[in-house]
Amino acid sequence: MPLEFHAIAKRYGNITALWPLTLSISAGEFLTLLGPSGSGKTTLLNIAAGYLDPDAGAVLIDGRDVTLLPARKRNMGMVFQSYALFPHLSVFENVAYGLRVRRRPAGEIRRRVEEALALVRLDGLADRAIRDLSGGQGQRVALARALVIDPAVLLMDEPLGALDRQLRKHMQLEIRRLHREFGRTTLYVTHDQEEALVMSDRIGITNEGRLEQLGTPRQLYERPGNAFVASFLGESNLLFGRVSERNGGWACLSLPDLGINLRGLVDVPLAVGDEAAALLRPEILRLRPDGGDGIAARIAETLYLGELIAFRLELPNKQELWSRRMATESWPSEGTEVRVGWQPEDIRVLPISANQTRE
Amino acid sequence: MRPGPSAAGHAVGSAVLAFLFLPVLAVVPASFNNSSFIRLPPQALSLRWYHAFLADPEWLRALGTSVSVAVLATALSVVLGLMTALGLDRAPPRLRASIVALVLSPLIVPVIMTSVALYYVSRFVGLHGTVLGLAMGHTLLCLPFVVINVGVALKGVDPNCQRAAEGLGASPWRVLRTVTLPLILPGLVGGAAFAFVTSFDEVVISIFLSGSQAKTLPVKMWETVRVEITPVAAVASTLLLALTVLVFLAVQIARKSNRMGRSYD
Repeated sequence: MPLEFHAIAKRYGNITALWPLTLSISAGEFLTLLGPSGSGKTTLLNIAAGYLDPDAGAVLIDGRDVTLLPARKRNMGMVFQSYALFPHLSVFENVAYGLRVRRRPAGEIRRRVEEALALVRLDGLADRAIRDLSGGQGQRVALARALVIDPAVLLMDEPLGALDRQLRKHMQLEIRRLHREFGRTTLYVTHDQEEALVMSDRIGITNEGRLEQLGTPRQLYERPGNAFVASFLGESNLLFGRVSERNGGWACLSLPDLGINLRGLVDVPLAVGDEAAALLRPEILRLRPDGGDGIAARIAETLYLGELIAFRLELPNKQELWSRRMATESWPSEGTEVRVGWQPEDIRVLPISANQTRE
Repeated sequence: MRPGPSAAGHAVGSAVLAFLFLPVLAVVPASFNNSSFIRLPPQALSLRWYHAFLADPEWLRALGTSVSVAVLATALSVVLGLMTALGLDRAPPRLRASIVALVLSPLIVPVIMTSVALYYVSRFVGLHGTVLGLAMGHTLLCLPFVVINVGVALKGVDPNCQRAAEGLGASPWRVLRTVTLPLILPGLVGGAAFAFVTSFDEVVISIFLSGSQAKTLPVKMWETVRVEITPVAAVASTLLLALTVLVFLAVQIARKSNRMGRSYD
């Protein structure tokens, strides 16, 4: 079911956790709030669940205002980072809890719990004690417990944060599979960009209590709205300067440190003289050891990452750039002087922060 | 690894333990004495004074009063202490600090002052010399043990467990009954045991609140020892000691089996 936030605001004393924030999640959508800790994403999730009251604004589930409804009447499925499983109950009773509260007949409870456990691939573990579960299994029980009540919206608060990398990747695919299969409206909170990219239909980037940008993973990666979004999602090189020229969808950024004017695409209202940043993703940089166009740089470091190779480039002004390429061909060694080149249409000129364009 | 205590350390430790426990244990052989005086060591062992204890309706009534008062005081402390601890768990820090100070104050204020105050108040409201009056007085001293034990147990409960239950549709009462209470049960049982033992051997408040109708075992012992030195008092002491040990053993066993069955870590 669709979930909407209308101008939700929340303060703790002098600290603003959320500026008035409006966000709609359509039915069946998987939306991830991605941001650093303290950016307000978990606050928004807790407001959706009903664990926290907003100071202003409204929460709507399926068009119905639930702002004043206590958590127990919202029919939300919540998955906590700490799992929050009931340690004194078996796996079966944990999953059955919400159905017992709803006074379903014993036969139906048994059937639905078994279905839910099968869904998260825990069949046969119904009688286990919680303390005998591994981290990944605990997370699956938490997921089954939230799903079994057929929630209006599934809410997940960094559910994979406590798992090791291998398991995290596996669970990402599992959660994605479950979402594909059932198309349940999901609001997911994480600070892990990979998680956000793998699972989400849309991602909302949060920072300091604001929604910086909302879009599909591809939109956010290819057309970030500002330097913060660019640096938070994906690897990025940012060069800071002033806009020296503005011409339709193009802007020139003057970088006096490097003595160059950098041309790139721009789709936000930046005027000549504004401070701005140029985004150069590591994969667009071309290294030419034999000279040619581009700026001079020295390969200060090479990192072998398996399928990729990463270069730390030192510019004449001591600024660093990172470049990456597939490790299938041979690569220049550390210390090599190279020219760094790029296509202007791969470069984005961005405001430094969202405030700049907001005001 | 830290080195273990030296031989001298062992000796000092053992001496301190002996100093603490030997006087307590002295009542045990004294109670099995067969002479008319408390003598150590006893000249011959017998159950004579146990028969005397059981044959005397006044001693039995005192024992019955003590058990009733302790059970009632424990029940009052558990209910009030549980509610206090649950409230404190959610209270803002400043309020929490002042309430905790208030709850602990009966342990800090000289008991004799509390006793005198209770004496006047209980006469005024007509509870003097009643089991209920004694139990209410004891509750003052028992309550802190429950509040502290339950408070510690509550700190160990993941607040998200309660939120999860609420999110699954459970009412606050159901969350308390099916999640919070089972998780803090060991703390609650421990607090109840402390409360029971505290009430059972309390003597200062009891002296002031006892009347001819309701007199607790320790008060009866004190009165008896004042007028005559009879080994029956040693029998009563031994019973008191045995009961205290039993209560704590039971709690330990309950906790251990609980830990083996489930884990709260």
